[in-house]
Amino acid sequence: MDPNQAARNLEVIRTLMERTTRYQLLTAHAGLAAGCLAGTGALLFVFLDPANPRHFAAVWGLVFAGSLLATAVGTLMRGRETGEKVWSRPARAVVGALAPALAAAAVFTVFFFSRGMHLWLPGVWMLCYGQGALATSAYAPTAIRWLGLLMLLAAPVTLALGPQWSIALMGVVFGLGHVGLGVLLLITERQQTPRLHRSVA
Amino acid sequence: VDEFKRLVDELDPLLHEPGRMAIVSALAAGGRMTFTDLRDALTMTDGNLSIHLQKLEKKGYVAIDKQFVGRRPQTRCQLTRAGRTAFTRYLDHLEAIVRQGRAQERA
Repeated sequence: MDPNQAARNLEVIRTLMERTTRYQLLTAHAGLAAGCLAGTGALLFVFLDPANPRHFAAVWGLVFAGSLLATAVGTLMRGRETGEKVWSRPARAVVGALAPALAAAAVFTVFFFSRGMHLWLPGVWMLCYGQGALATSAYAPTAIRWLGLLMLLAAPVTLALGPQWSIALMGVVFGLGHVGLGVLLLITERQQTPRLHRSVA
Repeated sequence: VDEFKRLVDELDPLLHEPGRMAIVSALAAGGRMTFTDLRDALTMTDGNLSIHLQKLEKKGYVAIDKQFVGRRPQTRCQLTRAGRTAFTRYLDHLEAIVRQGRAQERA
């Protein structure tokens, strides 16, 4: 064995160890799609009334559903492309880590809507999202950790500025945050090579 | 050159095989894993994984236990203390080979 081969072996081992614990099916395109949807959602309120709960629910409901769909399709396609199981061990760990934050967001959404205080929700959603993203940081790509931190920092600012700024901040933080996530994932994806499959096969 | 040869000779031959190296790396990171999770993570066939696991178990590097979850049998694997020590030693050896090679290049 020569030193170059030893270095390659160490690289393969590191990749294998990351692969066992990291959720790798999150795609850059899903992040970019979620960012574009959030930005578009915020821009729609130039024409719609954010104080109207129906408008608010319809826009952000569609943004959430669209982002979820983009993630699901992206994950399925990536799984098919790489031959990896979609409902894998890391995927179960990520869903388990996200579940409490998602449940909290759902409860707060119902609570604030029922009291006509829905314009406070963007700050609350950022808090829940940030907590959820950080909870997955042991399994998810590093970029998710940065997005989680951004959300946790932006949440108190959004809440402090109040309802009149909540839509704009939702568009900026969720929109640009996800676009940034997509770009970082894209860079990571470009750097990765199919060496691992060849080495193990 | 002698030091380099010694390092290469001392590499654990059981762990030096790519398939077994992959299994041990995955178990070192993932802790206890089911046979299915391990197979999916490493994209290995059942037969291939099974043979490698048997060799690692025989050497005492991996502990395998079988249990029933509901009505389904489940095989779980984890590194033993000896396996973790051997893996750490293997990594140390690889790093030493890389260092030795760089030192030779500089000389």
